[in-house]
Amino acid sequence: MTAQDTLDIQNLRLSFRNWSGSVEVLHGIDLRIARGERVALVGESGSGKSVTARIVLGTMQETPGARVSGRILFGGRDLDAMSRTERRAVRGTAMSMIFQDPTTALNPVYRIGTLVHEVLKRREPAITAEEARRRGGDILREVSIDDPERVLDSFAFQLSGGMNQRVMIAMSLINEPQLLLADEPGTALDVTVQAQTLKLMRDLVESHGTSVLFISHNLGVVREFADRIYVIYRGRIVERGPTAAIFEDPRHPYTRALLAAIPRLTGGGIPEIAERSDSFLAPMVAHEEVMG
Amino acid sequence: MTSEPILSVIDVTKRFTVGQRVVTAVDGVSFDVAEGECLAVVGESGSGKSTIANMILGLYPPSEGSLIFRGRDLPERRTLELRRQIQLVQQNPLSSLNPRRSIAASLRLALDVHGYGAPAERPGIIEDLLAEVGLDPHLARRSPAGLSGGQRQRVAIARALACRSDLIVLDEPTSALDVIVQARVLRLLEELRRAHGLTYIFITHDLSVVRNVADRVAVFQRGKLIEFAATARIFEDPGTEYTRSLISAIPVVSEEEAALRDSLARAGVP
Repeated sequence: MTAQDTLDIQNLRLSFRNWSGSVEVLHGIDLRIARGERVALVGESGSGKSVTARIVLGTMQETPGARVSGRILFGGRDLDAMSRTERRAVRGTAMSMIFQDPTTALNPVYRIGTLVHEVLKRREPAITAEEARRRGGDILREVSIDDPERVLDSFAFQLSGGMNQRVMIAMSLINEPQLLLADEPGTALDVTVQAQTLKLMRDLVESHGTSVLFISHNLGVVREFADRIYVIYRGRIVERGPTAAIFEDPRHPYTRALLAAIPRLTGGGIPEIAERSDSFLAPMVAHEEVMG
Repeated sequence: MTSEPILSVIDVTKRFTVGQRVVTAVDGVSFDVAEGECLAVVGESGSGKSTIANMILGLYPPSEGSLIFRGRDLPERRTLELRRQIQLVQQNPLSSLNPRRSIAASLRLALDVHGYGAPAERPGIIEDLLAEVGLDPHLARRSPAGLSGGQRQRVAIARALACRSDLIVLDEPTSALDVIVQARVLRLLEELRRAHGLTYIFITHDLSVVRNVADRVAVFQRGKLIEFAATARIFEDPGTEYTRSLISAIPVVSEEEAALRDSLARAGVP
């Protein structure tokens, strides 16, 4: 089983050293993503969901004061056993990331075409500008950009937020990564644009067979995207299971609160929900999983 | 709701000059806001919803048309009294609250500017305000950085309420918050509206929030008001293709909602 998994996180802990000792923020996370599987990690701000992605990407480990323990297997390989150079080589090629705000994630002083070329060079250092431009045009067409030539010649600030988001998705998939880390993609965008980009991203990762770790604070956003969901609360996974099971049969008190808090299209007002409750700290609930 | 509107927006147009170009941000918009209602203003970025709000607040005057508040024209230069009556809660309390000022000092400033209450009574008023928005009194000495996002937004709401305002413009007040915190802040806003007879202009792009808090909805697209109706009506029979597209983009959490959403989205398709 493990050998086929794209990502296998075991007992992941993260703590920060400070003046009085250290504070642990991740208390032993286990998370698995099978090949081609779309997994969502859902929790509130400060729950540890974004740092988990940063640890997988390998940038958290370089933060002063951060201490990471546990094992992360990426395609069966232990990420900790890799050298710094090897890890850097994985980033942007076998593993890529999409950030929340596409406009700030794209370097404003280079044209999109140059940025696409840079990304391609990470996998194929010898690639020519012409070849990069051709491949860039192809992938931009895949994210439903009708005039890729204009976009390749533009700077990020000349494009709309939705267009930048598509460019980000295109760039993150151009090297055919095995794993895509998506941290609240589209939260900074209008709802209609967000819905479009999520659908687009879903279709694309499906056709490319990319595994995805999708990070969000809103269960509603991941319902139509994820195969499986992990709910995280204060550095612990509190419930995990197939998407349908989480929505139809949420068992952990925190998951229930998270679901109840989302305003319903069918109306009924805003329910009274406790912000903190001892029951949120109850042990993890794992749903039966049917794995292919 | 009484028959006399608290605010009337009449044929309002706002144009901005950007370099050589003239951009019409709001284009011939008219609507009434009833006393005590929660009116949702929805639309995508660039639809003109914030421009309308800024004109109501008096940050800039309309290029054409007029704004009538309680039967009187809103002047370009607002009196202190008018500024007290119309208040604002912004999206991000981290930027709307002064980071160097304690919570108590931020609230005190609002009271001092408007000369609300006798100076000796003001600390007591601040304590009551904090209690009213569900904040522990010991938080008063902290700076905004020492509070959570939800607590900060409660402070911003307390400040808008401080001098007993009548009309509050809520500009995406919960879109930066976690879902559970959002639900709690929305409930607080609803309780405060009932308790004080407040009127809200609730600017948002989240239609599932609108469904649950608003009495009426104004839909903006590219500076024009394209739909204006009771909330129930908008969600039973959306009148424009654009409103349907907004509804179709709502993330939902149950099959029942998904079915409703998809039927509404399809309603206009021949």
